[in-house]
Amino acid sequence: MSRIVIEDQALIDHLSVNDTDAFEELYHRYWCSLYLYCLKKLHSPEAARIIVRDIFISIWEKRHELPVTFSISSHLYAEVRKQVVKSLNNKLADVHEAPCIEAWLSKEFSVESLQAARNPVCKIRIINKPSELIRQQTNMMNKTEGQTTLEHIKWIFHSLTNRLSLTNILSYYKN
Amino acid sequence: MKTEILHSKLERYLAGKAMPAETRQIQAWLSCTEKDAQLSPEEKSLLELEILHEIQAYTAYPLFYPKKKESWWQKFAAFF
Repeated sequence: MSRIVIEDQALIDHLSVNDTDAFEELYHRYWCSLYLYCLKKLHSPEAARIIVRDIFISIWEKRHELPVTFSISSHLYAEVRKQVVKSLNNKLADVHEAPCIEAWLSKEFSVESLQAARNPVCKIRIINKPSELIRQQTNMMNKTEGQTTLEHIKWIFHSLTNRLSLTNILSYYKN
Repeated sequence: MKTEILHSKLERYLAGKAMPAETRQIQAWLSCTEKDAQLSPEEKSLLELEILHEIQAYTAYPLFYPKKKESWWQKFAAFF
């Protein structure tokens, strides 16, 4: 098992020369997030599976036509959204399926639910940062950032003074 | 929202004829990913292989581009 992480762009370059390993590596990197996104949006494992499959089939089939500046993550992001809308549209066109999906769909399209998409992304990112999680789990939770910084400065000052006094003592004894 | 209304909105969106408000609404729905669905590790690995096999069956790439067998020293070097 190799520990070398190859960048997406390098894998795309390999893809143009029919490298199946590069293709499978891209698949293993992205399939899960695409699948979970589709599953969340369409509430259908089968539809999610079809979308993921079709997206990767299309990448393989267009491997010789990919532009030099091709970004796999941007492509997947745009493609999965397009496919989700298409799939939902097909479901709504189906007379038998449309009434079944109405309940969750009306809930997801409500103003309250859509409001979540308008929240700033940075807020979510900060919560997921490891430092923030540590801060929440330790006693620093109720302290502000300023207080924490002050404590850090105090700690550095104390360690420096301790060290200086110790070296002074040592030099005193040496002399 | 009624499914008929949403269906017509999606039709217009896919045809590129949606009103700006409709586009914003659909894009807000697409961007809304608060609660993520989860898969168990067993389910995940099984599904991963199943979808990959479906792709392989459709494109038949293992037939046209078979994998070269790695030599023993390449396998050994991959551990480092």
